[in-house]
Amino acid sequence: MLKALIRDKAGLFGLIIVLAFLIWSLIQGILEILSVNLRKPYLGYLLLPHNPFKYDLSLAFHPPSQQFLLGTNAEGEDILSRILYALPRDAFVALIVVFSAIIIGGILGILSGYLGGIVDEVIMRITDAFLSLPALILVIAITVPLKATFFATILGLAVVWWPTYARFYRAQTLRIKNMDYISAAKLSEVSKLQLFYRYIFLNSIDPILAYVALDFGNVILTYSTLAFLGIGITPPIPELGEMAANGLSGLPQYWWWAVFPGLTILIIVIGFVLVGDRLQDIIAGRITY
Amino acid sequence: MSINIIFFIIRRIINAFVTLLLLIIIVFIMIHVIAPNPLALARLYTGPHATYSELEQVAKEYGLDKPLYVQIVNYIINVLHGNFGIDPVYKVPVIDLIGKYLPRTLELVIPATILSVIIGLVTGAIAASNRNNPIDYLVRGVYLVTWASPPFFVATILQLVIAYYLRLLPPTGTVNPTLSPPKSITPFPLVNAMITGNWPYFFSLLHHMVLPTVAIALVTFGIITRIARASMLDYMESDFARLSFMKGLSRRRVVYGVVLRNASIPLVTLIALLFGYSVAGAVVIEDVFQYHGMGYFITQAIEGLDYTSILGTTLIVGISIIIANLIADILYGILDPRVRIIE
Repeated sequence: MLKALIRDKAGLFGLIIVLAFLIWSLIQGILEILSVNLRKPYLGYLLLPHNPFKYDLSLAFHPPSQQFLLGTNAEGEDILSRILYALPRDAFVALIVVFSAIIIGGILGILSGYLGGIVDEVIMRITDAFLSLPALILVIAITVPLKATFFATILGLAVVWWPTYARFYRAQTLRIKNMDYISAAKLSEVSKLQLFYRYIFLNSIDPILAYVALDFGNVILTYSTLAFLGIGITPPIPELGEMAANGLSGLPQYWWWAVFPGLTILIIVIGFVLVGDRLQDIIAGRITY
Repeated sequence: MSINIIFFIIRRIINAFVTLLLLIIIVFIMIHVIAPNPLALARLYTGPHATYSELEQVAKEYGLDKPLYVQIVNYIINVLHGNFGIDPVYKVPVIDLIGKYLPRTLELVIPATILSVIIGLVTGAIAASNRNNPIDYLVRGVYLVTWASPPFFVATILQLVIAYYLRLLPPTGTVNPTLSPPKSITPFPLVNAMITGNWPYFFSLLHHMVLPTVAIALVTFGIITRIARASMLDYMESDFARLSFMKGLSRRRVVYGVVLRNASIPLVTLIALLFGYSVAGAVVIEDVFQYHGMGYFITQAIEGLDYTSILGTTLIVGISIIIANLIADILYGILDPRVRIIE
């Protein structure tokens, strides 16, 4: 599968973006956690070109140059460093939200498809009710009473993100529940839990992979949009959406302040979309591997 | 109208109503998980600075100390009557504020949805009829980029290029503030200005609406392009398309006349989805253009952690999307008789 992905130009391009984003997030994320726990702030910006929190008004609104590749903001902080500092949180949110959605959606979808009848009807109606609203609006409704903190945002996203997966797993369960290998498993008295997990859940991972890649991008988009609206921010920690929102006050003279954080999100999401699209083609058999 | 279609419509309406009730119950449960006791509940209605006696009074007034099943029934009745509570900042019913801001957003979202469908269909048709050649790749590249950008980024770029650099349109605002507004006959400012013949105001409104509308359409059209392209490619292989070719119709007639018309029927159900995306996009895009609609209202509510308004907004947006879905479903059933039988 990986081979087919690399052989395609768009797929390779997407894969490079995604890997660069994930690897950077892992390294920088560990450094950020260490810097807080060991009380050594310099660890947090060991790999960054500048200290992202260095307040220096004499450097304010420095246009992109060799010293500051993406310019500086109103506080004289380096925008590139702030973007790089913000990335691990996006990766963290995307991972947690997508995985919790797979687990919640998987459990509900498999139960719904396997048991059928009234359970199916109730779960699917609830799923429809969640799907009837844009995720963004629902997450706002959940996070605001929880004081719009970072963890409230993750919780809100996790609460609204599962319905697509529930539908997927339900369809998948309906498709395979009468197959021979499931009957064989039932005859050999495999426990229900085993049946659900090993025989149905794990067997549905492959077709869902392409959607998961796309969905990482969706979570990052929604999360940055929430940050733009002022949700899930822990000052002074920079956030891509929040930087773009603040940057609006610098338009049009100091355009780099608002444009580069948005552009970063765009590039990352394109990476995930390209990988997801390619995986979809590969899984559907349109490209052989 | 056949009896078949009437049954179909009735079933759809019941379905929509059940979804609506569930949505209200989900919101209700969410509130009760967040605020487990009557005083905490009351605080959600009053805002964070209420005194103890104020809280008790609100708890009594809203029946927050009653058993859960009484509360849930009361809550559903209240919501269906449009009673979402009092906004703690403005001290007026939330429904009045939504009634003021929502029409302005609809004035953006409805034209944006139409524009988005047009752009989506045209680009989808162009891509499908030039399958796998540079034009196809260009269209797919463009929708990939717009689809993957955060709505605020598209809005910022439009504002920067068209308003600030080219100076074609105003960068921010809803209307020229020096003009006197027309009498409000309907909730829609644009309609009011038209009825009263206040043309300077009308054109100023239009002038400020263009950029946000285009921004919303740009963020959302990708999904239509994608699906129109796929569905047209399917139809190009179909017997009736082949027959049209054999009859000697030009390629252009077949693609834009026969195939596009048939391929756009399934897209009707997408329009409701698109409407939902557009509303969500509008919230953010309005913020960039400082357009005073629901986006402005929601941002204010987020800043003040004003839960009553957020909840009211969620329910109203939910209701309008459920209605949009219902209309799309019924239209689809009327346009494509097969749907009624499969159900």
